[in-house]
Amino acid sequence: MTTLVTKAPVSETGWRRVLGSPKTARLLFPVAVLAVWYFIYYTIDSRIFPTPQDVLGFMWEEVTLTSGVRYSSVAENLYVQFGVSLMRLTIGFVVAMILGTIIGLAMGISKRADAFFHDWVMAVLAMPALVWALFLGLALGFGDLGPIIAVIAAGLPFVIINVREGVRNTPRELFDMARAFDVPQNKITRHVLLPSLMPFFFAALRYAYAIGWKGLVITEVFASDRGMGWTIKFWYDAHRAKGVIGYALFFIIFAMALEKLVFDPLAEKAFRWRPQVDALEMAEGDFGAVTQEGFLLQESQVEEAVPIESMEVESKDG
Amino acid sequence: MTTATHDAPVARSAEEERLIAIRKRETRQRWQWRLTGYIVVLGLWSLVSRVVGENLIPSPLRIIETFPDLIESGRFFSSYAATLTRIAVGFGLSFVFGIVLGILTQNKWIDGFFKDATTISLVSPALIWALIGLVIWGFEPQGWIFAIFMTTFAIVTVNVAEGIRALPKDLIDMSRAFGVSTRRRQREVVIPFLAPFIFTALRFGFSVGWKVTVLTEVFSANEGIGFEMRIASQLFRMDEFFTWALSFFVFTLILEKLVLQRYENKFFRWRTEVSA
Repeated sequence: MTTLVTKAPVSETGWRRVLGSPKTARLLFPVAVLAVWYFIYYTIDSRIFPTPQDVLGFMWEEVTLTSGVRYSSVAENLYVQFGVSLMRLTIGFVVAMILGTIIGLAMGISKRADAFFHDWVMAVLAMPALVWALFLGLALGFGDLGPIIAVIAAGLPFVIINVREGVRNTPRELFDMARAFDVPQNKITRHVLLPSLMPFFFAALRYAYAIGWKGLVITEVFASDRGMGWTIKFWYDAHRAKGVIGYALFFIIFAMALEKLVFDPLAEKAFRWRPQVDALEMAEGDFGAVTQEGFLLQESQVEEAVPIESMEVESKDG
Repeated sequence: MTTATHDAPVARSAEEERLIAIRKRETRQRWQWRLTGYIVVLGLWSLVSRVVGENLIPSPLRIIETFPDLIESGRFFSSYAATLTRIAVGFGLSFVFGIVLGILTQNKWIDGFFKDATTISLVSPALIWALIGLVIWGFEPQGWIFAIFMTTFAIVTVNVAEGIRALPKDLIDMSRAFGVSTRRRQREVVIPFLAPFIFTALRFGFSVGWKVTVLTEVFSANEGIGFEMRIASQLFRMDEFFTWALSFFVFTLILEKLVLQRYENKFFRWRTEVSA
């Protein structure tokens, strides 16, 4: 059924081809969103539901600082709020990366360390950011420390899982061969361990950043008096739908820009050593690795995968 | 490969015994270290709670003691019922939609159309969907359904699409060559192969889904786990707060071990048959 479109008849006109191309579909998506938006606007029984123009106007005022809203004496406009959040995110992210790499390496190399940490990593992974947010707000007050710890708590398990998975996936034969040929340890680390760890490390980077950001904004709602999370809550409390949607769009723009401008180019770099794997595909594949929520499931799936592989080998032998 | 096992049954059993002994020792060691982990973390926790005060960080013992109180108060089961209903409705919808969309993304046009939607859903925080849903629909169910839907559907879609990309092309080609009907091909080749990816989607989607649900309950509900957690933290009843948080963790663990894994084993029986 689905192949019908790709196997379109040869005699189609250029106009049709343009309409049928995936790029057009991609461009059509925002149009569809606008259509749905207007549909809701005309059918909903709500006095505060904004039109797209309202929201765009609001966003423009925020960006050009002409709205006249001063959020507080410390963080008075969009840029300062955003800067505050970004600073917290970066500090928490760096700490999570360093700590997570150390623990993840230990867990990947030593079975004992793995058994020691495993259940607690899972426990931290399962805790919603909300729990951290409410608790940190009470424990530490409205400073910078609470949100930073929330970023660490959200990102750390993802880094650990990915780094650990990366160490486990290093090709053992290559290590054995390197040892057999008396390659010095630092060379093994640089040429075997690091390159095979790279995709996993990169996935860790990407997810720690994304998850850390998600945890941060929730914490800023409950345990902070500034930052982007606090600002969107400000508009929610003010019952201004255009403010909430406008800031939500700022969030989306920020996240998308980060993906397209920072992580996608980085992915290309990280995967240059093995060009046959599509970088994005690999990153998405690692989403799968993360999605398995850790080791137990991962192991069970690996066991399941083995019979199939061995079957293939046998069939080739035959 | 198979002939080697027939040659020397005696040697194999000795080898096997050695392997079993090694495995046993490894299991014992793993449990020892696991136990050490529990002791160290729980010990540290008790120590911290002793230092900063039981009011702020209740000790693990205190949390266990609070648990029966919560059940006795009657709020426990009603809160769980409320939250689980929300998850079932919201995540159920997004699960079905996610699977359909994941299958449809085989079509390049539909894939292009929804590409940005899935990326946006994956990278943007649950908070914005919760707040948008609430500010538009208020306390109506559409609000939280919208929030749960927007945060979880892409997880399902991405996993299903990933599974489809990894489909064994040769099996499908073969079934085509032998004139197997489309429906039968879907049922006996495609769906069994996709099952693990769908299970992954279910698991991860559920874990994200419950976090969003709790978040929406904090803002806009008068029952449910999120609501209880907010009340407990506002009244500075940290023991209750942690009990709520940990109880759900235990709940998901049980769900995972007892329900999901059992179904998964059932689903994958065909694979063990293959290996035998």
